[in-house]
Amino acid sequence: MSWLNLARTVALAFALVLLPSSIARAAELQALSEYSRPDPFGGVVTPDVTPDAHGHFARAAMLETARGGYTSFHLVVKMPHPGPYALSLSMDREAAGLQADLYREWFHFVDSDKHYYPDALIPLKQPYHSQIPEPDNRIPNQTVQAFWVDIWIPRQAQPGTYHGRATLEADGKASELPIEVKVLAATIPDEDVITMDHNSYGSSWLAGDYPNLSRKRSDAFFRSNEFFSLIHAYHRIFYENHGEFHQLGYGHAGKVGPEYAPDLEGSGRRRHISNWELYDRHYGPLFDGSAFSESRRGARPIPFVYLPINPEWPASFLNWSEPGYEAEFVNVVSEMESHFREKGWTRTYLEVFFNHKKRYMGFPWDGDEVRFPADNRYFLEYGRLLKKALPAGTPVKFVFRADASWDMEKQFGELAGVVNMWVAAGDVLSWLPEAPEMLRHRGDIIWYYSGPPSVASPAVTITRFPMRGWMWGVQGFVHWQTVDGGVDPWFHFNGGGTALVYPGERFGIEEPIPSVRLKIQRNCVQDLTLLDSFSHRKPIAELKSDAAGLYNHTSLADWWNPRPAFANKPTSDWSGTALGEATRPAESHLEKLDPSAWQKVRQYILRLAAEEK
Amino acid sequence: MRLLLIISGMILIAGVLPGAERDMARELDEVARAATVIVDGDACQRIVTPRALDYMFKKDPRDQWVDGDNYEVNDQAFIAVKKTLIRLSRLAPFPCDVNLWMPIAGHPDKVRVVIRNAHEISQFWPWGKLYQDMIPQMKQVLDTGRRMTVTAKPGWISVLAPVHNSLGDIVALVEAVSQARRDAHENVK
Repeated sequence: MSWLNLARTVALAFALVLLPSSIARAAELQALSEYSRPDPFGGVVTPDVTPDAHGHFARAAMLETARGGYTSFHLVVKMPHPGPYALSLSMDREAAGLQADLYREWFHFVDSDKHYYPDALIPLKQPYHSQIPEPDNRIPNQTVQAFWVDIWIPRQAQPGTYHGRATLEADGKASELPIEVKVLAATIPDEDVITMDHNSYGSSWLAGDYPNLSRKRSDAFFRSNEFFSLIHAYHRIFYENHGEFHQLGYGHAGKVGPEYAPDLEGSGRRRHISNWELYDRHYGPLFDGSAFSESRRGARPIPFVYLPINPEWPASFLNWSEPGYEAEFVNVVSEMESHFREKGWTRTYLEVFFNHKKRYMGFPWDGDEVRFPADNRYFLEYGRLLKKALPAGTPVKFVFRADASWDMEKQFGELAGVVNMWVAAGDVLSWLPEAPEMLRHRGDIIWYYSGPPSVASPAVTITRFPMRGWMWGVQGFVHWQTVDGGVDPWFHFNGGGTALVYPGERFGIEEPIPSVRLKIQRNCVQDLTLLDSFSHRKPIAELKSDAAGLYNHTSLADWWNPRPAFANKPTSDWSGTALGEATRPAESHLEKLDPSAWQKVRQYILRLAAEEK
Repeated sequence: MRLLLIISGMILIAGVLPGAERDMARELDEVARAATVIVDGDACQRIVTPRALDYMFKKDPRDQWVDGDNYEVNDQAFIAVKKTLIRLSRLAPFPCDVNLWMPIAGHPDKVRVVIRNAHEISQFWPWGKLYQDMIPQMKQVLDTGRRMTVTAKPGWISVLAPVHNSLGDIVALVEAVSQARRDAHENVK
């Protein structure tokens, strides 16, 4: 089988030259598909192993892609014995528009299973000079260093085949790995078919993740330019990887971080905004898009943001249900609307969102995941206050967001016309197949929420989130926490179920650095966006059906669950256990994905793309 | 005797705290003293529902959030007491919280926070806990009815004071708390 046939039958965008591992004696370069993560000893990490995993090591990277996106692969340096090496990437002159980025993959030691997994990606300047074992990663008997290669194909690139190479110098010899990129005429649309949101809480963790930077500015850190640049860098890294970043700026009892809200003065009818300085430094470049001016995707405002509004801000809960509460809320929210309008910040959805839960003892009702239906009356009251605060026809895009689970079905009805952005728990939503279309039809936004998979899951696992969102017909999903790598992500990793980026400071980079999972997720949503764009010539149901079959041998119906009998009972009678059991059928299809599941879908997408003129 | 103990406690604090913190402790003691008079212990007893208290100690390996998912309160009682606590906190000339704590019937070795406030500060609450081991100083306040100043964490000052119901029983306590140096970003989550 030739490398080209193999690529077309197995990996679409990634073609291989089979390479028996036994002949690897000299220092050499090999390539792997993005779904086959290398380990530091010459193999593929166990969760990504397929029966022919070792055959996935290739002597050439043969890539096929549409324009306006990235294509990627793992590049590995194999050394038969410890020693220094130099690595570089280059593209031929005719491929000048294509841009290749090289990252070193950090091997994280995961305490729970005592294995190494590559995930954090350290941006490199070329040529990269180092040695194996890699000194800072400190892996005994390491024989392989892995790199991630991203190749950016601009929308303006001419369709055709481009060439480049990776060059390794070691033991006084140079070896090369050819890179071939076949660029199709099809172009990935600008707007992602699904919003991938990455959540986080507050800013205190930034001082912990960047101790040198925060020490340098001491007490002034949280008001410094470095601090705001760092926040903007987090937005940038997610944006560049087709995501969005959310920072919740208040606590469960209403404490608001200074950079998340304007300062207030006075009380009752005299309460008003006294100072926008920190807020505008924080959000101005995000709302006008200037924070993204150097992005390959182009500068544009962030699509969504949390507002600081909670039961204790801008109105004091002391006055709840009294005229003073309404006065404080309406006055301040009206001032906010004026400020945003005057600044021209009208392209971002500004979310009125209540995150608090009773169990954290701040307030007597659940803003997040309402379980007890009586709590819905608080949403109705805030809907009334919001309507009073905002002028009709304002161009400023306030939305009332609710994160719904237990009481979702009832909330969709009772809060219609009040809440117009929903972030739904996947479990309950999984038995409401009509809900996404019903909500979209009435102008609401519907996402679902989730969390990133551990690095110890197969690499393909992270594709399940955008895939499920697209199959369900929702507009986005939220990974609930994405910046917390735990106490020691480098040598005693907790798996990364709450981290898709890492602090770069230990590598001299005062910014976040991406991860393999983040890149795979990005490539997946690029593919889905391209696939969805073919709905002009093929019914969307057919596209979904074809993709689902290739992905995990499912039909469209397999992505939903039957509505359980207990759903007719009051939500206070439900149990978490029953909820878990009710979602098993659909969930079971996603639990053990074939490591090559997405490659099969991509092959289908590229076949359709190749038909585009 | 009771007065003597309070005075000796204040003298002890005056002897070990720096000036500014000594002033804060004095102010917080005033807040806590007022709380004992003003906070309605009967209303406090109506806040958390019997159902929620029942679930609070349930463990289910297949349902790890069974306790929190079933936590509910009577909102009118909660709101009434919370408003009182907020008013009390405004007696102090510096930012402080007045938190409500309660013992748990049948679990004398446990205590629970019931209402927290806007500065989100407490010297005792491990974030997220529905209940926790009884704090020795809290037990002392519940047993003796005497206010107590706690400065166990450097820079933190809490004054604990009893709350009575209409029968004269001590059914709760308040924690009037502040920090010499506040962290504007802590607990914003």
